[in-house]
Amino acid sequence: MSRKASGLKAWAIQRLTAIYIGLFALYLVAVLLFAAPVDFVAWKEWIGGPLVSVMLLLFIVSVLMHAWIGVRDILIDYVHPIAIRASLLGLVAMALVGMGLWAAQALILVRMA
Amino acid sequence: MKFLVSRFNPESDTSPYMQEFEVEVVRGMMLRDALLEIKRHDESFAFRHSCGEGVCGSDGVNVNGTNKLACITPISELTEPVEVRPFPGRPIIRDLVVDMTQFYQQYRAVKPWLVRDDPMPEQEILQSPEERDKLDGLYECILCGCCSTACPSFWWNPEKFHGPQALLTAWRFLADSRDQATDERLDALEGPYKLFRCHTIMNCVDVCPKGLNPTKAIGHIKTLMLKNAV
Repeated sequence: MSRKASGLKAWAIQRLTAIYIGLFALYLVAVLLFAAPVDFVAWKEWIGGPLVSVMLLLFIVSVLMHAWIGVRDILIDYVHPIAIRASLLGLVAMALVGMGLWAAQALILVRMA
Repeated sequence: MKFLVSRFNPESDTSPYMQEFEVEVVRGMMLRDALLEIKRHDESFAFRHSCGEGVCGSDGVNVNGTNKLACITPISELTEPVEVRPFPGRPIIRDLVVDMTQFYQQYRAVKPWLVRDDPMPEQEILQSPEERDKLDGLYECILCGCCSTACPSFWWNPEKFHGPQALLTAWRFLADSRDQATDERLDALEGPYKLFRCHTIMNCVDVCPKGLNPTKAIGHIKTLMLKNAV
């Protein structure tokens, strides 16, 4: 773990993604409060727009990276037996990649619909 | 005043237990005086102490849940019953005496001395007053161990995480204008353990009897690393 795993890079990415997640969350809340799409067609128009869909994709990637670093930190702190830690890290990685693909698939389907 | 003191004799006890003592409090009494009073009642009671004025850093103990130096903790500030325990997370040798080996190993690991590539001058290495000012709040550390043994990250990974004390010292030498090993020092701190187990919990700042701020020092190290990386 300590030989290859990063310290500074993970820490910097965690902070950078946190800022983006925070800003995008504010934007999402603002849109849903003040300019919420009225029906499915309007929602599709909004979410499928080039800027919003790219921002959303970036948001999904940020959340996944942020979650990975956070969970990795917790496992490094508390789970010391290397076999259990490696298995848990693997499980978390699979789950995060799965969720990411699922979200990407949903976005692509919206743009095609 | 009622005191509950943690006792452990490795030859007869399987686990530590709390023993009650009644100590007559006098004006201006410090916790160390009370511990000495307890030792007069029961001379088998063991704790470390030396200078008695917050300079040597020997008598760090956990009082009512907080790490403090016994010699500069006025009894009048404590709530009754006063519960005195050894530093958390350290192997107990006897009563309040704990094994601080890992703490000193982490201190040694940050190379707590000036590293020079240039030949040594015949006189002292000069420093401007501004450069000297950067060491304030760093050099005062007395290695009592209150901070590192209050740090959850140090509890979980004391063999790999440097802990607040050693990281404060690491910054003390990184910040020193006379030191010439900045890159080597920063490289040595890379990886997820030595520096980056710090999650800015800030127990260290809370307990430091010298009022130092290891979290801030750690922040400075991270910023300097980032500056040198991009």
